[in-house]
Amino acid sequence: MNSLTRRIIALSVATAAAISLAGCAVTTGNPTGNGGNDGASENKDEYRVAYIARAQADSFAAWLANEMKLEAENYDDITLEVFDGQADDEIENKMIENAIANQFDAVIIQANNADAQLPYIQQAIDAGITTITTNPRVEGLTGGNSVDADPYKQGAVVAQLALEEIPENANVVVLNGPAGNFHSTARRDAWQKEFFDKRSDVKIVAEDIANWNKDEAMTLMEDWSLANSEIDAIISMNDNMATGALEAVKSKSGFDGILSYGVDGTPEATLLIQGDQMTATSLQNARELAQLNMKAVHDLLTGVEDEVNVDIGNPLITKDNAQEYIDLYKEAGLIEK
Amino acid sequence: MLSTLKNIEVSRYSIYIILLVVVVAASLLSPNFLSSDNIFNVLRQVAVITILAFGAMTLIIGGMIDLSAGAVMAFAGVVSVMVFKSSENMLLAILAGIAIGMICNLVNAFLVATLRTPAFIVTLGMMLMARGAVLELTQGQNVLQLGDFVLIGQGNLGWLPIPVLALIAITIVVWYLMNQTRYGRSVYAVGGNEEAARAAGIAVERVKYQAFLVNGALVGIAGVLFMSRVNAGLPNAGVGYELQAITAPIIGGTSFSGGVGTVMGTLAGALIVGILGNIMNLIGIGSYIQQIVMGAIIVIAVAYDVFSKRGKAKTTILKSDAKGDTIRPGMFASGPGGGKSKT
Repeated sequence: MNSLTRRIIALSVATAAAISLAGCAVTTGNPTGNGGNDGASENKDEYRVAYIARAQADSFAAWLANEMKLEAENYDDITLEVFDGQADDEIENKMIENAIANQFDAVIIQANNADAQLPYIQQAIDAGITTITTNPRVEGLTGGNSVDADPYKQGAVVAQLALEEIPENANVVVLNGPAGNFHSTARRDAWQKEFFDKRSDVKIVAEDIANWNKDEAMTLMEDWSLANSEIDAIISMNDNMATGALEAVKSKSGFDGILSYGVDGTPEATLLIQGDQMTATSLQNARELAQLNMKAVHDLLTGVEDEVNVDIGNPLITKDNAQEYIDLYKEAGLIEK
Repeated sequence: MLSTLKNIEVSRYSIYIILLVVVVAASLLSPNFLSSDNIFNVLRQVAVITILAFGAMTLIIGGMIDLSAGAVMAFAGVVSVMVFKSSENMLLAILAGIAIGMICNLVNAFLVATLRTPAFIVTLGMMLMARGAVLELTQGQNVLQLGDFVLIGQGNLGWLPIPVLALIAITIVVWYLMNQTRYGRSVYAVGGNEEAARAAGIAVERVKYQAFLVNGALVGIAGVLFMSRVNAGLPNAGVGYELQAITAPIIGGTSFSGGVGTVMGTLAGALIVGILGNIMNLIGIGSYIQQIVMGAIIVIAVAYDVFSKRGKAKTTILKSDAKGDTIRPGMFASGPGGGKSKT
């Protein structure tokens, strides 16, 4: 193959790749929306809304993004464009800057790290763009709106249940999310204040970071269960890690009755709770968050509301009510019917 | 001191001696380490990474690299899970995973071998494409309720865990390919000196295609084993696995310059990394310190590789001069572990 032919093929491949990537921008709702920001509360036929997700590789964030897209379709005057922050502060901040530069009418931001995004979110507010922070609420802004699922409360509700369930002088292991992650830190803080500070008899025999990942938690628990023959409970800052740790000991003798606590209320955790393999989790209901976010942004853009700050609940999922949430997931297509 | 160290001949067995030292140290640090439960535990844990490492080793010996292994593994594994859930056919599911791995690597091979695009860039692009593809396929959600699919990753054949059995079988196959076939010798020759290999009549492009396809098959198998082991189709799995896969062969003596490396060295490298991770977990060392230790090992291994080659190159040139030989292209392109460094 001569050099010219090779260059032509290379150029064609690159062009095809660029076109396919350009086609990856996700737009839902009314696709005819045009640019411009004529004032947040001024009535228009169409509003362009940017949703900046924390990371679409994160299963909860992906679920929330999907629910946002579905909910946006219920509003004829809203065009929602979804952007992926890739769990990276720098990328998320650039996305916010781009939303300002592209004069969206509104921006909904799921912060990766509230402190890191705060000045950029403030820029959006100062630019006159209707701004909502969600999951979590970003504190310290002048102006702005929020629809929240509070990570402290999510951890606290499970920790309060564990206070009654974890036996005296128990040995527990603790699995944390990525270092410095806002959600992991807040949930761990809740466990400390609501459980460990009140239960000095409980001993943490191992604690480490498993980066929200099932496989990393599984490897850690395989090793921990060999080093510690008596582990009474797994305390995890999310459900993925809790299910990974359970996978490691599910057929091991001596770990039959191990208690396991997570956060998120993922479909997998809910199924395990129903099957009596996992103890409890608290739900972040992505559908409820999406519904409240889209209602809030619509009300703010159309002038029905001047300011919105609302919270969704953090319902506890145990064996008693797991079926209710499994039905919810079946309806959302996340569990097979 | 430095000149003395440079003159020391690198022992062929140094990696195995290091492995032995690590095993002895680990057994002294934790009484649980040498229990049969823990030995199988370590082997199960290293199986996926070692299989990926054999693929990475093949490419590095051939003068290439694959940064897409982690993402392609996730893509292949999730597709395999989906095929199993829709067909209930284990063989079909495994073949689907292998096919995805090979297709992705066929694209890599086309861009690297035919269009002569740097492997680093091509596989970086493939990493993004494969990750995007698996996230799009699953909409970012884990695939659950795998049924009997977990038997591959969690089951035993007699007393031997299936992932360990797969690791042993793949080690033998890769060893055979690299040491007993024309393909293996060609990979060493291409990585040692591509132009010399071409001058010697080796079809360099074909060898690169073959190396990528072998890597693709291994990545596909790793994906199937991974998803089965964790009992879920995880679209965000394998992040950073490409670097872990590269670490094992480098520690095991594979040269980043190409042309040098062994299957057993890679296996030893993977075991060293796996055992160090295991013992640090057993004695309660946190992940921050673990990262420092792993990073230090990689740096020391690569520095040792570069340092020892400088010594070897100088010795070789001196010997050639003394004999009055002319250094010809390809004269060092040889079999396993004996290739010439480009540095």
